[in-house]
Amino acid sequence: MDFSGFNSAEQAHMNKVIEKKQMQDFLRLYANIVEKCFSTCCNDFTSKALSSKEDQCVMNCTEKFLKHSERVGSRFAELNAGA
Amino acid sequence: MSFLGGARSSTSAGGLNNDKIEMAITELDTITDFFNRMVSSCHAKCVGTRYAEGDLNKGEMVCIDRCVAKYNEVQKKVGEKIQSRGAAGNASG
Repeated sequence: MDFSGFNSAEQAHMNKVIEKKQMQDFLRLYANIVEKCFSTCCNDFTSKALSSKEDQCVMNCTEKFLKHSERVGSRFAELNAGA
Repeated sequence: MSFLGGARSSTSAGGLNNDKIEMAITELDTITDFFNRMVSSCHAKCVGTRYAEGDLNKGEMVCIDRCVAKYNEVQKKVGEKIQSRGAAGNASG
């Protein structure tokens, strides 16, 4: 993605677009994590409240997914920088 | 994607070249989508679902590195294949 041929008005416009997309992407990530972690961790519906096991599972799941996403991001950036 | 832009060069009053911007946005969307799919696929393939702890273990880390490299390879190969089929189709058609 080469933005060097853009004048400053276009650059400003692109920055706004990118900011909006980052926000949407973040919300999508959030929804994804919730769905993934809920489906793997929450299987006991004998109670309304989260059991401590489920709670711990969800916390671990979220942390793991975020770390995973970070790692994929670094590898991806390395690949693109090298390409 | 030359059929998309055509011959118009729509420039608005503020000095924005809309075609260039649209192409940049499309490229950005494509890369973001590709990245999100890669995260999802590699998570399904590499990260176990027991969630005993919040950190990635060594095996998962190695798997993720390899997964990203492979995914990228596959993307390249599929792209080349599609392009070569398209070119062959044009030549014979």
